[in-house]
Formats: sequence, C-alpha cells, structure tokens
Amino acid sequence: MSEDLRRALQRIQGPDELEAERRAWAMVRSSYVERESLSWQQRNRRPLLLVAAVLAVLLFALFSSPGRALVGSVHDAVTSDEPTAPPKPVLTALPARGQLLVNSSTGPWIVQVDGSMRKLGPWWEGSWSPNAEHVAVTRAHRLAALAPNGRTKWSLARNRILRGARWSLEPPAQCCRIAYLNGRELRVVAGDGTGDGPLRNVVGTTPPAWRPGSIRQLAFSTVDGRIELVDADSTKTIWRTNPGDVPFQLAWSEDGERLLALGERTLRAFDSNGRKLWSIGLPVGSSGVVFARKSHRFVLIRYSPATSRSDLVLYQAEADPGEARFLYSAPGAFGSLAISPNGNWLLVGWVDANQWLFLRLTAAKVESVSNIVQQFGGKSSAPLASSFPKSVSWCCPASP
Amino acid sequence: MLGPGRQERSWIRGAQGGSASDLEALFKEHWPRAHRAAYLVVQDGAAAEDIAQEAFLSAIRNLDRFDRRRPFGPWLHRIVVNRAIDWARARSLRREISEAPASEDFDTGDLGTFSDGVAAGLASLGPEQRAVIVLRYLLEYTTAEISELLDLPRGTVNSRLRRGLDRLETILDREQR
Repeated sequence: MSEDLRRALQRIQGPDELEAERRAWAMVRSSYVERESLSWQQRNRRPLLLVAAVLAVLLFALFSSPGRALVGSVHDAVTSDEPTAPPKPVLTALPARGQLLVNSSTGPWIVQVDGSMRKLGPWWEGSWSPNAEHVAVTRAHRLAALAPNGRTKWSLARNRILRGARWSLEPPAQCCRIAYLNGRELRVVAGDGTGDGPLRNVVGTTPPAWRPGSIRQLAFSTVDGRIELVDADSTKTIWRTNPGDVPFQLAWSEDGERLLALGERTLRAFDSNGRKLWSIGLPVGSSGVVFARKSHRFVLIRYSPATSRSDLVLYQAEADPGEARFLYSAPGAFGSLAISPNGNWLLVGWVDANQWLFLRLTAAKVESVSNIVQQFGGKSSAPLASSFPKSVSWCCPASP
Repeated sequence: MLGPGRQERSWIRGAQGGSASDLEALFKEHWPRAHRAAYLVVQDGAAAEDIAQEAFLSAIRNLDRFDRRRPFGPWLHRIVVNRAIDWARARSLRREISEAPASEDFDTGDLGTFSDGVAAGLASLGPEQRAVIVLRYLLEYTTAEISELLDLPRGTVNSRLRRGLDRLETILDREQR
C-alpha cells in the first residue's frame, strides 16, 4: 500500500500545473529582482554605515536639546543606569485610552482599555473601521464586517485568497468603503457589503492605504513597486511613482500629506502629489513604520544584522529625512508598532522577548508586558517569529 | 531529514548573493512538490497556486536570514501545508454556511484506477488527515518530522495517519470489488 500510495500521489496533477508554475516564477522573479535592485556594495556597506549613524545620533542626542519633548525623555529613560521595572506577566490595562486590534497567530483580538480581551472568531486578520465601530476581517476566500462584539454584519466570498482589507477613513455619516486584495486583484466594496467591484486587476501584495482627509483616494503598490494613488469612484489614476522596492507597508501621515512606502531594502517618502521626497536604504530586517500623531515625524524599526539588535529611530517625512534620532534599542527583533490615540504612547512588539513595550513619548517611562503570545492564544512551544502577533492598531489609525 | 545537499546549498548561497539563475534552480527544484502538496490538501487549483506562491514570496523576503546549513524544503513545506490546512478548514465552514458547490475534481488523467481511487479517497478525508498523508507519502517525511512541521504531538500524527490510511484502504477496496 505505502509504495503504491506514494506513486499514486506523485501521479495526481493539479489543473494547469505548468501554467501555474510559469505564473508563480514570474511573480517570484519580479519580487527577487526588486530585492536585488540595491547593489552588493550598498548592502554590505550598510551595517557599517548604520553603526556610524547610530553613533552620530547618540552624540547628537547627548549634546543637543531640540526634540526632547518626544525623543530625549525616552532616550533618557532607556539608557538610564537605573533598572527598569520588571515586565508585568499579564496585560491588565492599557496605559492610554482606546482599544487595540491585535492580529495574532490565532486571529484578530480586541483589547479594551481595562485589559479585557475578545477574540473575533476564526479569522486570519482584521482592521478597524473609522471610530472602531466595525472590524473588517478576512480568512481564506471570505471577507466580513463584524461588530466589535464579534457579530457578523455581512460577508462575501471571492475566488482567490482575500487579505489586506482596509476601511476608508470617511466619517461614519458618509460611511464607508473597504478596499481589499483578492489574490492580486484590488477590489472595493461599500461598508454595507454592497457594490463590490474590481479597481485594478493585478497589483502588489501590499495592503492598500486610504488617504486620510480624502473620501475616495486609495494608494496601492503595483507588482513592480510603483505606488499609485487612484480615485476609487472614477477608477482614474491620480498619480503614479516610478518603480522601486516593492513595499510591504504603506503608511499615510494623519493629514494625508505624506506617504511612506516601506520595502525590504528601502524606505521611500512621497508628498501629496506623489513626488519622492527621499529614499533611504535599510538593513535587512526592518519591519515597520508608524507616524506620530498630527505630525510628519515617524518611528521606524531598524534591525542591525551587525549587532543583532533592533533600534527605534525617528525621522521626518519632509524634504530631508533629518538626523535619525534614536529612541530605543533591544536585542533581537521588533515586530509591530502602534501609537496611542492621544499620541503619548508607542506600543512596540518585542518579538524575541515575547513582550510588548509601552514607551511614553513625553516622559521618561517604559512599561512592559510579557507572555504576549500566550495571552493571545498562541502556543508557547511555537517559534516566536511565527506565533507573536503580527500587527497591532490602537483605535483608530489609518491602518494596522 | 538530512541536511541540504551541496547543490542546494550552492543555489541558496547564489540566490543570497544575487544570482537569479540559482534562485530559478531552487524554485524549479521545489515548486512542483510544494504546489502539488498544497493542491492535494486543498483540492482547489487556484488556492493551491496562491498558497505555494505566497510561500515562495515569503522565502524571498527572508532569503538573507536563511541558514544555508538547514534544508530549504521543510521550511517551505511547513508554510505550505499549514496554510493549506487553514484554507481547507475555512472552506468546510463556508460550505456548511453557504452550501457552495463541491470542490473541483482531481485531475488524474489516464493514470489508472488506483490513482483515481486515491484521489477520490483523499477527497473524502478531512484536511488534517490529507495533510499528514501528503507529508508522509508525497513529501516523504517521517512521523517525527511531520510532528515538528505541524506542531503536533507524534501520537496525534500517527493516529491521523492510521485513520486516514484505513479510510483510503476501505474506499480502494470498495472500488476494486
């Protein structure tokens, strides 16, 4: 039986197997070419430049006073010789008002300010609607809108794997639309589940990002790493950038005037007209950006292969990125960032320590909570890289 | 599972260094089995393509962090099979709710009744049983390795394998009568 079964399994073919291979190779190669667009010299020079940059930033932070309101205090707190408080074993409360939407390995969860948690059912990922009145969730071929209590308002199914659902940021009175990816196809559906239709046939895998302050403008990535802003009503392109590193995250500033495209090797900043402000090379492993509230400054996770440490650094999305300002550093990988609604706290997922860090940005304070994987239903035996929550949004940023 | 062969290590090293031809060799070596494994678990051509493709894209994203001393296949198959199980479970739920039409049939061509029977038998199993059978007999992992790949106790793997094989045998016997 065993040998016969082995041979039988090897004979069974999927439909269209050769074409599937051809399509997949085209996609894999395209992704690889983008990844390799930076030269060998740049890649190998970067760790040294990074060390130099961090040293320069440290010196700058030591001897300069500007920016202390946001940066200096955190820097003081984490570089102090005084021991920081031990991590709390359980998340009993959030340090600021609001709710968290956590995309964990077991699905999306909502965390209230008092620390109470609710799992939203058997979904893969979710994102907030404006004012956290609903959550858009996806799993395999299904997209659904849920009330925060988990009750399904509506759902639909499509033929490819659905992901990257994002609510438009219109006020609830005019509410709302959801953009999502159906395989490589970008689609938009009304907030009540009606009027579902395609916007673009083939796009990159980046979750789309609605532009704040506009009721229908949506940014997305093409397969060759161009960023395109489209009018979701007319489907017309408003602007499109040159090709670049295919991003895995698009992030708008709160006023909709700046857009960041974070790829594996580069971070690009654009203004509201799609003009590139600057582009900076990154070491492998940088994994997130988040804008500060009401600001064009943003926090970037920057991993250093040379030291196996992750840094949080502050840049600005202006004509010049400015001096990188060092906020915090720890061994291992950071995985997610979220800013509290009042803009005072930064949540940082510290993957290798299985902790969340809450950095108070306006005073010298860092709080930490451990056992994050277990608190969101993950198995403690699973590798942290796969079981640690992938993203967090703190009610109600543009995207997780 | 033995460590990677010299050839595979060379491809990975080349791909890490920027060689598209080495990457292509690695892709061509691993795509057929990854795609077929996904297909046998989900029984849906489009979903299998998506799942296998996403696994490779994930590999590209993490290429520089990949340890060349470790074999590439298990790392890829872990992603593929776990995603495939999740997808198949979700479809079962959807079908319960929406009574969607049954999945597409396996394409066995003119390969004889035994393959036809295996295809039909697999379709009657749950995704978890299909997954362990595919890992054991298509991808040829040991039960200890399957237990690690699926993050399951070895006893659970053995019982799923036993029950799945028993059911397959029953179906094949019935068809041969």
